[in-house]
Amino acid sequence: MSGPSDKKKRALALALLILPLVAFVVSLGIGTYPVSPRALVWVLTHPGASAPPEGVSPAVRDVIFKIRLPRLILGLAVGAALSISGAALQALFKNPLVNEYILGISSGSAVGAALSLVFLGRGFPPQVASFVFAVIAVGAVLLISGKAETHSISLLLTGIIVTAFFSALLSLIEFFASPYVLQALFFWLMGSLSLASWKDLYISVPLIALGLVFLVMLRWRFNVLSMSEEEAKSLGVNVRREKILVIAAATLVTSAATSVVGIIGWLGFIVPHLVRLMFGADNRRVVPLSAALGASVVIIADDLIRGLSSFEIPIGIFTSIIGIPVFILLLKKARKVWL
Amino acid sequence: MSFRDPRADSRRTPGVPVLLAFFSLAAAVRLPAAATAQSLTVRDSLRRAVEVPVPAQRILSLQPEITRIIVALGAGERLVGLDYFIRENDHLFSMIFPAGERLPVVSKPDESVNRELVVRLKPDVIFSSPTEQQVPDSVQRSLGIPVLAMASMGRFESLLEEIELVGKVTGRTERASGLTAYFRQKLAGVAEAVLSVDAASRPRVYLAFWSSLIRTPVSYEPVDRSGGTNVADGMLPSYLGTIGAVINLEQIILWDPDIILIQGSYLPRDRSVTVEGVLEDSRLGSVKAVRNRRVYYTFGFWYWWDPACVLAETLYLAKLFHPAKFAAVDIEAEGNAVFEKFYGTKNVFAALTGALDFHEWTVR
Amino acid sequence: MNIRVRNLAFAYEDFSLRVGELRFEAARVTSIVGPNGAGKTTFLKCLGGILPVPRNCVFVDGRDFATLKGREKARLLGYVPQEHDSAFNYQVMDFVLMGRASYISPFALPSREDARAAEEALDFVGLGRYGARAISELSSGERRLALIARSLAQESAILLMDEPTTFLDPRHETELLNLVRKLAREKQKTIVVTLHGLEMAVQYSDEMVFMKGGEVVASGPPGDIFKEPLLESVYGMKIRIFDFEGRKIIIR
Repeated sequence: MSGPSDKKKRALALALLILPLVAFVVSLGIGTYPVSPRALVWVLTHPGASAPPEGVSPAVRDVIFKIRLPRLILGLAVGAALSISGAALQALFKNPLVNEYILGISSGSAVGAALSLVFLGRGFPPQVASFVFAVIAVGAVLLISGKAETHSISLLLTGIIVTAFFSALLSLIEFFASPYVLQALFFWLMGSLSLASWKDLYISVPLIALGLVFLVMLRWRFNVLSMSEEEAKSLGVNVRREKILVIAAATLVTSAATSVVGIIGWLGFIVPHLVRLMFGADNRRVVPLSAALGASVVIIADDLIRGLSSFEIPIGIFTSIIGIPVFILLLKKARKVWL
Repeated sequence: MSFRDPRADSRRTPGVPVLLAFFSLAAAVRLPAAATAQSLTVRDSLRRAVEVPVPAQRILSLQPEITRIIVALGAGERLVGLDYFIRENDHLFSMIFPAGERLPVVSKPDESVNRELVVRLKPDVIFSSPTEQQVPDSVQRSLGIPVLAMASMGRFESLLEEIELVGKVTGRTERASGLTAYFRQKLAGVAEAVLSVDAASRPRVYLAFWSSLIRTPVSYEPVDRSGGTNVADGMLPSYLGTIGAVINLEQIILWDPDIILIQGSYLPRDRSVTVEGVLEDSRLGSVKAVRNRRVYYTFGFWYWWDPACVLAETLYLAKLFHPAKFAAVDIEAEGNAVFEKFYGTKNVFAALTGALDFHEWTVR
Repeated sequence: MNIRVRNLAFAYEDFSLRVGELRFEAARVTSIVGPNGAGKTTFLKCLGGILPVPRNCVFVDGRDFATLKGREKARLLGYVPQEHDSAFNYQVMDFVLMGRASYISPFALPSREDARAAEEALDFVGLGRYGARAISELSSGERRLALIARSLAQESAILLMDEPTTFLDPRHETELLNLVRKLAREKQKTIVVTLHGLEMAVQYSDEMVFMKGGEVVASGPPGDIFKEPLLESVYGMKIRIFDFEGRKIIIR
């Protein structure tokens, strides 16, 4: 089991695990407001309110600590959350074509945000209702598919039905809501880190961290759970209970992420695939490396958005533009068995 | 998502300058061979040539800006139907034309048209929004009623041409001329006063429109005319007109505007971005406008423009930007006068700023 | 470790399984044979706890199997399915390692001991050098062996195998059945296999169980029960049994 290629793989895996941190540090210096390396270093070493030296504008501190830092942390958390959730659900559903929104999270989130904007108005952040309704959507899926049915197919089908229901509900709400409330909703739905602030992080990041730790600890179990129900059962696994645990954790991280930044597609689908391509299907590697790669992808994509122009392209559009050609490439590569 | 924000999508076709020239020509000179005493061929904002019976007696307006102009021209009783927005969500319109409550809603919130109702109402002409490019032609074809797709696209000149054109269609040309003359006169008054202001004293203004802190119109004429400078000017080529650009938050800090204006045409309960919110936002703490607490509401777009409202807004902004120059001006009185000139209703400006909670920020 | 069945009844749709009294002994290979639809696989799945059985029907080493937790069941009894379809292309070693699931808590990773057990299992079935290969790279016969290795890694005293020889060529079929016998002889395991081929069943079983229509029609050592009248009544056709150099051959 060891050899030169295995050593290379191990080095690559290590590099991938470090990548998010490296990207994080580098990204602090990227953005619309020009921040020189000197200014960056000074600000990071003097977090207190002392006066900045010559040539360093006082605004730099705000830019770094109040805008970039929360945005990058949120980006890391969201990237990791969506990717790991995708990996977990792919194993659970024994299907590499599954993504993190398959159980109705995206449509549930949208309905929650819409209802919040319409009924609770501007005062209330839509994040809370968005999270609650995402969880409701998944709960509905589990409830409807019933006690005996932790079978993948029925969960998937129920997910599709619940998604359709919530989407219809969303259209209904949009129909009756004031068009100017809808603007806020539309903007939120696009999937963007653009307004990330520390407030957003206080609740979502701990939730994501909690779910992440949970899923990373469960990672070897995913191998077994990716077997057929019968096989997993015969290997001694309480399939139903563990499946629900995994779905709960995946829902937690995905809802926490989606309620804050909107819908960012393709991460949970593409990232685990890429990791399997590089490192094989063993979830002991796939799970943590998906989190690391997902976090890096979001940060790097956000760097491109922030660095290339003053305009904010929603990151969801970005991931689609990249995700679709990658998907086609993957289709071509996986000629034999799926990764 | 079925909802589409007309302002965000507003496109200015490259040919609009040409179109404008055409307009002014058509206003002065009847097009040969196509114009008779009973009908007129005009070009709408989509450059469609449409033959319209004049004066139109039964008008269906699905474009709020046009609806307001029709009321201003004194032809409000000729309206046979309205669009969903202006009847259900437009607090301003209910102040200037309460009779509108009784008119049927002919288009749904997703901008689709109830054709059976249209047939029953038998309008002579239909005004629609130019953002749905296929609808005007398809409705005109299937119902045989002329459809004019028009909007000012965020330009005063277009707005004034529009008033003239609608005046022609309704046969209220005198009234239309009177209104456009009044409009120009008021603008000229402001222009004269700010002429002496040098470029450095023009306040740099950031506009936070469309329920978002980071969405800004790259061109907003009322700001330019009232002696301010839109910091987002030049971000996009000018021929694209008024477009909402989504910008990076850091860009606001980089611009460091003197004044931040938040679109306040929404009712307070519908606002996502508020003055308090901006002043408390720690990310913007270093921005001049926040430090000096020069964050205000302005009207902004409200399904294109209300001509009286945008004129009043220009005066309001002029006083906001140059308080010394306009110290003697009572904005509430001026605003009321503008609305009274257009709609004949008193105290609308005061009622509007009250409903929109502009009071604290209205410069008296 | 033996299995004792007492009044097992299982029904679904229009099929019902009824087995009265039956025993499967340790260190023995018992084959279950019979025509298609006789209920062989269903019976096997009931034995293995894959299909739900009521209490007091299946006893493993004296304990009521239905009352045991999933983990305990897996440590006592391994089930090798007929087919394996995986969406993911695991390495053979990782695949076999899954057999250790009942020894590893959900939040833990496999230990060195687990890895050792998996390696031993691989060696036993002859796939020792295949650990780093991907499952998809194996031939179907080798994949069968990997499945058996996974169940071996469970270190359970009982192994149930569902039609392990289908689609195998004669050579691989023989090798596999030799392996099965080896498991019984060397590891003292209780082996129950469902088989299609009568000749192989006769050659490799210590006990045979004939099923038809959801019931057991005969059970016992092949020498005792493998007779023409039985075959005729079970399969509904004339079958002749010939002795050839000590092996039994059937002619239809």
